[in-house]
Amino acid sequence: MSIEVRNITKRFGAFTAVDDVSLQVGGGELLALLGPSGSGKTTLLRMIAGLEFPDSGSILLNNEDATKHDAARRRVGFVFQHYALFRHMTIFENIAFGLRVRPRQHRLSKSDIRDKVMQLLALVQLEKHEKHFPNQLSGGQRQRIALARALAVEPTLLLLDEPFGALDAKVRKELRRWLRRLHDEIHIASVFVTHDQEEALEVADRVAVLNHGKLEQIGTPQEVYDNPANAFVYNFLGNVNLFHGRVDRGRVRISTMDSESQESTPVVDGSTLGYARPYEINISRESGGAATVHARLLHIYGVGPKVKLELQDIETEAMIEAEIERTQFVELELKQGDEVFVSPSNLRRFVEDYSI
Amino acid sequence: MTQPSIGVGNSVGARPQKNQAKRPGLLARLRGKRPGILPGFGLSLGFTLTYLSLIVLIPLSAVFLKTASLSATQFWAIVSSPRVVASYKLTYSVSLAGAAIDAVFGFLIAWVLARYSFPGKRIADALVDLPFALPTAVAGIALTSLYAPNGWLGQYLEPHGIHVVFTPLGIVVALSFIGLPFVVRSVQPVIEDLGRDVEEAAASLGANSWQTFTRIIFPAVFPALLTGFTLAFARALGEYGSVVFISGNMPMRTEITPLLIVSKLQQFDVPGATAIASVMLVSSFVLLLVINGLQAGLRGKGEDA
Amino acid sequence: MITAPQTTRRKGSVRAGDAPWVKWPLIALALTFMLVVLVLPLASVFVEAFAKGWQVYLDSIRDPDALSAIRLTLTASGIALTMNLLFGLAAAWAISRFSFKGKNLLISLIDLPLAVSPVVAGLIFVLLFGLHGWFGTWLDDHNIQILFAVPGIVLATIFVTFPFVARELIPFMQAQGTEEEEAALVLGASPWRMFFSITLPNIRWSLLYGVILCSARAMGEFGAVSVVSGHIRGETNTLPLHVEILYNEYNFAAAFAVASLLSLVAVVTLAVKKIIEDKTGRRGEKA
Repeated sequence: MSIEVRNITKRFGAFTAVDDVSLQVGGGELLALLGPSGSGKTTLLRMIAGLEFPDSGSILLNNEDATKHDAARRRVGFVFQHYALFRHMTIFENIAFGLRVRPRQHRLSKSDIRDKVMQLLALVQLEKHEKHFPNQLSGGQRQRIALARALAVEPTLLLLDEPFGALDAKVRKELRRWLRRLHDEIHIASVFVTHDQEEALEVADRVAVLNHGKLEQIGTPQEVYDNPANAFVYNFLGNVNLFHGRVDRGRVRISTMDSESQESTPVVDGSTLGYARPYEINISRESGGAATVHARLLHIYGVGPKVKLELQDIETEAMIEAEIERTQFVELELKQGDEVFVSPSNLRRFVEDYSI
Repeated sequence: MTQPSIGVGNSVGARPQKNQAKRPGLLARLRGKRPGILPGFGLSLGFTLTYLSLIVLIPLSAVFLKTASLSATQFWAIVSSPRVVASYKLTYSVSLAGAAIDAVFGFLIAWVLARYSFPGKRIADALVDLPFALPTAVAGIALTSLYAPNGWLGQYLEPHGIHVVFTPLGIVVALSFIGLPFVVRSVQPVIEDLGRDVEEAAASLGANSWQTFTRIIFPAVFPALLTGFTLAFARALGEYGSVVFISGNMPMRTEITPLLIVSKLQQFDVPGATAIASVMLVSSFVLLLVINGLQAGLRGKGEDA
Repeated sequence: MITAPQTTRRKGSVRAGDAPWVKWPLIALALTFMLVVLVLPLASVFVEAFAKGWQVYLDSIRDPDALSAIRLTLTASGIALTMNLLFGLAAAWAISRFSFKGKNLLISLIDLPLAVSPVVAGLIFVLLFGLHGWFGTWLDDHNIQILFAVPGIVLATIFVTFPFVARELIPFMQAQGTEEEEAALVLGASPWRMFFSITLPNIRWSLLYGVILCSARAMGEFGAVSVVSGHIRGETNTLPLHVEILYNEYNFAAAFAVASLLSLVAVVTLAVKKIIEDKTGRRGEKA
């Protein structure tokens, strides 16, 4: 089963929630919709599910236009953010619901329903809880029941809205790895929404980054992380340092660093921004010439194998965050208040300016 | 993990499912651009609006249309005749007095129920709603017999020259009975929701109990108290059943406005009754607006916190 | 759904008014007030009802006029309850599940009958169906009696109890959200199936609460019904009207005997209401 979204737009009054988004999900693929809150990722998911309908554009399921089909007809499994378990039904009844509401001619027999529910309970490892009510389970358990209930109707695609959003950090981590393994087993085209970049990068086959209703980039975790399409994506995927600078006759001057313009960026004179991640910051005791920034070490956060340093550019007073190996930290004999020379090993610039 | 038989292979075939019906133009426009998948918008809103119009809006508009058929002089002559004006004055003053008593004792009862535990608390809590549940006519005859000169309470009051039955005081007694739950039920949840951390913060900053009460608690509860007071007052203005027995219905002395409407109707003076009713309706709508404003203010405050 | 945990009270609390010398006098004052204002009237109804003994009590209730009043009260409140129940469900569904223009106005209009004096509520039906009313001549020509007859009583009762079910359901269903219903639809349930197996079970306590309040008010309504009934003994007298007639005939024992029936309904109402509140952690549920 494949999903294809073509030029989908959705407005709520004057607010454009999803703005001309197109993407494809292949059979058996796990796609993450990643973005900050208000980026339109949940609305997009709900439109794929048939819970909302787009103002324009179309949705193709298995190459068939399903834009106007409602959720039941699309045969989607949807896992709601707050699980939406039926609180007055037992776990067993919850999972059986989708099987029991089928038209009589398609309905399984009582014993088949029972077998199927027990299989699903085994799949999510909650066999002992069939007679319990949702409020007797923990958050992680409810999440798994919600998943089992969605799978009971043998959906052709599985959609999950912030599946781990309401869980605490440890359960979150366990459950997302479990979801990845489960997905590899059942192999249904799946889309999940998240605002946690770590989660998206770790679990998904591909990540679609959304912002203000627009699709900023889509690609494998490696692609979007290593080659972010723009400053927003770069920023959203991890901590960054920002360097203000100017482009002047083909030469880029960022802070006090002076370098040749890279080939990918246009040689237009004016102000520019450079970005580098904390682990891409080199620290040395010696000035490396024009391409270094003279900075003062303000704080040292030294727990763990990596040492985090908070520095301040002496000239511009901009803050710089660096992360270096403990061995290097020991070698340099850094102390609070030291003056050092900083140079980014990889300074990125983006065509489109994005303000943080 | 065991491999279950879930997958695309053994599906049960596409379930036949009717497509969402196209919604009619008017409702679609009313609804704006957010069609989700929940069904029944047209049916439920259509029934709601029809029923509301038939039972409430059209009948109520009759009062104003009927009043409009009177000339301005006729209307003014009716609503400003001495007996009618006397009834307004009486109704407003006894309603204010009743609501004020409710505000004081309602606050006390709400406080006690919200903050303390004591034997019989659950019964006391349930009992607060008695005036909601007890038919007003029953309340009326019960209060009258209690405060009659030979009644359980009247026998102690009469010797001191306190006459309750067939006096404005009797009406105040009846109205404060009717309005009590409005104040308690408005104030009680607010007192219950007061965070203990705020009080502890006040105490840690050196406030004593009385200061905490007057500067922290009471200001927080005041909007709810005002809402409860207004609700009790509004209810009192229109009250009939509990008052009719205890008031004695003497024109110019103990005749409240609703009673006057009834007596006009009994004399088949429908235009007179309607004119007075329109004045009452307008004043209760104004009060309703005030109450809505108060409650909106209360909600706004809650969001700030 | 989730109710706030009850704050536990520790000894030596810094909370205002927790000192025993403040607490117990306040409790005593509040309970004394409640005793005088609430308990005494209720108690007096039962004492007066039995003042002339069991025989008079039973005779008053078994009186044919009283029995016909009971029947009329049950009929009128039964119809009013059914209608307002359907209305409450429809209104709460429309308001809590969809966004549309004028929603806040609609919510205010639903509360309108609460702001109308019962006497005026009766009057409006006189204006519509009375001999000189809008439909009076037409009704008279077709020999249809609404005023001073059962339909008028039913209409007045419906008007007075109009908002009770809707008012309970709307905030509750708004707080509840739509996820469970959407889940049922995604799983293939038909709209009615969704309504009966997900919506209705979820709102059952709220619904029952509204039903209790609505029926208590419907059975006890006096002012509005009094205006439209015409007080025809054995025909258009409801229980509260029957109480009034007996009382005005100085037949106090009988009046209080009939009143005691209504008081019993009130006490049961309070008890059921309290049970629902305890069961659902209400006031928490409402938020």
